[in-house]
Amino acid sequence: MSQPTLVLIPGLLCDSFAWHKQAGVFGKDMPIGIADVSAGVSITGMAEDILTRHPGVLWVAGHSMGARIALEMVRLAPERVAKLALIDTGIHPRREGEEIKRQELVDLAYSDGMSALAARWLPPMVHEAHHGDEVLMDGLTEMVLRASPEQHERQIEALLSRPDAAAYLGTVTCPVLLVVGRYDKWSPVAQHEDMLALLPDARLVIIEDAGHFAPLEQPEAVTAAMRMWMAGWQKEDKMTDTSEDGKQALPETPLFDREANFRGYRMNKMAMDLGRAENREAFKADEDAYLDRYGLSDEERAAVKARDWHEMVRLGGNLFFILKISAIDPTPMTRIAAAQAGMDHDAFLAQRLGKV
Amino acid sequence: MAKIIGGVGTSHVPSIGVALDKGMADTPDWKPFFDGYIPGKEWMKQAKPDIAVVIFNDHGNSFFLDRVPTFAVGVAESYKPVDEGWGPRSIPEFAGASDLSWHFVDKLVEQHFDPLVCREIEVDHGLQVPMELFFGRPDKWPVKVVPIWVNTIQYPIPTPLRCWEMGKVLRDAIESFPGDGRVVIMGTGGLSHQLQGSRAGFINREADEAWLDGIANDYEKYRNMSREDYVEQFGSEGAELIMWLVMRAAMDPKVDLKHKHYYAPASLTGAGMVVLENQT
Repeated sequence: MSQPTLVLIPGLLCDSFAWHKQAGVFGKDMPIGIADVSAGVSITGMAEDILTRHPGVLWVAGHSMGARIALEMVRLAPERVAKLALIDTGIHPRREGEEIKRQELVDLAYSDGMSALAARWLPPMVHEAHHGDEVLMDGLTEMVLRASPEQHERQIEALLSRPDAAAYLGTVTCPVLLVVGRYDKWSPVAQHEDMLALLPDARLVIIEDAGHFAPLEQPEAVTAAMRMWMAGWQKEDKMTDTSEDGKQALPETPLFDREANFRGYRMNKMAMDLGRAENREAFKADEDAYLDRYGLSDEERAAVKARDWHEMVRLGGNLFFILKISAIDPTPMTRIAAAQAGMDHDAFLAQRLGKV
Repeated sequence: MAKIIGGVGTSHVPSIGVALDKGMADTPDWKPFFDGYIPGKEWMKQAKPDIAVVIFNDHGNSFFLDRVPTFAVGVAESYKPVDEGWGPRSIPEFAGASDLSWHFVDKLVEQHFDPLVCREIEVDHGLQVPMELFFGRPDKWPVKVVPIWVNTIQYPIPTPLRCWEMGKVLRDAIESFPGDGRVVIMGTGGLSHQLQGSRAGFINREADEAWLDGIANDYEKYRNMSREDYVEQFGSEGAELIMWLVMRAAMDPKVDLKHKHYYAPASLTGAGMVVLENQT
């Protein structure tokens, strides 16, 4: 088989900047192309255009609207697309009222210019923690300014008449990597879990501390996930190697790796120390003062104080440590586990443990 | 030389200890679980070991994330139950078989293992519960212990094959240990369970039953499985089962499966045990 080309497809209002981090890494190892979707007027047309411009076997990675185009390429030419990566995207057809919201932005670009559109459109797309990252925000703004109101209108038209990808997702047999930023409000994690359920051979990687622009917000984590995808996985092997990049492909099974150790260290240390009676007394007497000793972030503190077991684990807490909080504030283990599973306690007991 | 009188594989679920502490052993939730251990306890009584080597993992009680030994061996004269957050349990201290421990450490290092050697340390439910399951609640434990800790929490955890190889060294150490001590080896942890992530509550009864059947004489597949396979089949915390391999490797290639018991769920865990004997 001839050497595949990695084709990276940007989304709405995006250009090669959206992919420049990954292109810089993978371009050293294999032929790559970054698609230009600025002139297209339909998802199918853009997919056809990319297939024509990039001959041979393709590994296709698309971001947002780019992922919808990538999926359309598989539908048109399944024999050409050997691997597929769908990032921060969705498969749902046009939603009720979607065209009205989109039209507002189209009008805004014409009336107030692209900088007004960028100021309105970009911030909700990026995880709040990165709003102060000037390099990132300026880069994104400049990218939007390179586009025109006409391009925006064309792409919105293409999106609004998008094909129903859900209908053929089950027939996509190539390995599919799904990636989503944990805080992607535009295309949330749940949409990717839905795709995971429909795809015969897919892995989902959730990128912590990222919003809709995961490839730019957490470039290394996205690159690591893509590297795992490019290296290939065994069909029955649902886990990724956690040794190299510390990323997992089975989101429902967080292994306590290097990253989790770092992320959860303070919270776990706080909980570990509850193994001493005098610390338990201090915790009971003045929880805030006790937590102050460990320099928890606001997020961590809120999760601990709310006894939000799911959130504590998400922030890197390991149950073996944080369980000590349940010794002070008694909570049955099954309730803690049900919270992990995101299930109602009774449903958890019935469905997972077979208890009536 | 000391003699290996048998190998035991068993769960060490903390709720088992809690059930005993709170006198819940005869409640409908727990009775079938404890009843299944009666033949194992009886076997232990007949076998009269004087040393128990217990392979287990710490659960964030004696080791924090500041220093994580892949393998650790206790060489202390005694081990107190650690405070896991509820206060130390009122069970007797465990006397240490410190001579055998040191001898095992010597053998490990000679054979290119590099354990953490622990002179002063407390033990959590990973050791306590298996002892209670097989020796009951005596005023004084009838055996001394050699605790071996395996890291199963902080990744990278050791490979199943490495656990197996350590079991070979354990056998060598016991068989080259002077005297006529009678040693039982207890591999602990598991069976299938997962406490974290949205797959929490995962129990795989089929895989558990296959494990209890296969660990005696069809162990090769388990020795050769990857850590990922363990997590996949038994859940993230169920990967503790790799510690049974230390026990199994210390036994003969062919063994008799004397007793077996399975019950699920014990708390959130597929739980059970096997008792293995060498044939000669």
